Amino acid sequence: MTVAVVPEVRLTMPARAEGVGVVRQALAGMADALAFNAAVVADMKMAVTEACTNVVVHAYEGEEGTLEVEMLADDTGLTIVVRDWGTGIQPRPQRREAPALGLGLPLIAALSDSFELRGSTNSGAEVRMTFIADRAGDPANANPVTGGVGDDGRWDPTAEEPS
Amino acid sequence: MDANPIVLDESADDVVVVVVEGEHDIYTAPTLRERLDEALERGGGVVVDLTGATFVDSSVLGALLDARRRALDADQGYVVCVGEQVEPGVQRILDITGLVPVLPVVGDRSQAIEHARAGVRG
Repeated sequence: MTVAVVPEVRLTMPARAEGVGVVRQALAGMADALAFNAAVVADMKMAVTEACTNVVVHAYEGEEGTLEVEMLADDTGLTIVVRDWGTGIQPRPQRREAPALGLGLPLIAALSDSFELRGSTNSGAEVRMTFIADRAGDPANANPVTGGVGDDGRWDPTAEEPS
Repeated sequence: MDANPIVLDESADDVVVVVVEGEHDIYTAPTLRERLDEALERGGGVVVDLTGATFVDSSVLGALLDARRRALDADQGYVVCVGEQVEPGVQRILDITGLVPVLPVVGDRSQAIEHARAGVRG
């Protein structure tokens, strides 16, 4: 009997901007090993970057904290979990240390085949994204990024047309 | 040596080209903002050349859009170019955000310089 080898990667690092590229490189290496389609890999890299960026910018309000990323492969594709133990999901960021567009979650929704957001105020947050190796269609068609840039420079999901 | 350089090319007289190569995200976005500020301070047109870029995220789009806003306010031409063979890590985010006509984004650098010189708006 042959037992399928299921690759699993867990990265734990300080939630700092320089770590986001490291996560992306690790993901690229894993996707190479699994022979994913280049378009799916490009979407994974973008989505995981946005999820990690959310942790770096919003999770710890400028304090030191931990970013954890898990990559779990199965027969159909890859699930990536990005987790923090920070202030949890806020309706709006408390402050804008780095000017943020607010486009992260819409991009994750458009680029992943499914995603789930867990967490509440002061209990950390977790973004779980799944990417199917053999996609039937483009997920961006099912969950398009809507809106445009508002007058305040942030993404406005209700904007008809970017200003 | 910087694997992800952002440099100013001022060889086109009245248009400054901000040449962005490699992967760019929240880590390099502050540097990009500084370079864009420098380019805008010259007072002429500004082109952002992403031909050599392999990956840009929403932090980079935020920097590009802020610079575009300042260029519009100051009546300076502002154009992004991506070359003829665009990396998926650059094309995809521009496509799904609908920002190609907004920034605006064109193909080659010489065309971008002409548009920026003419102060063509998006």
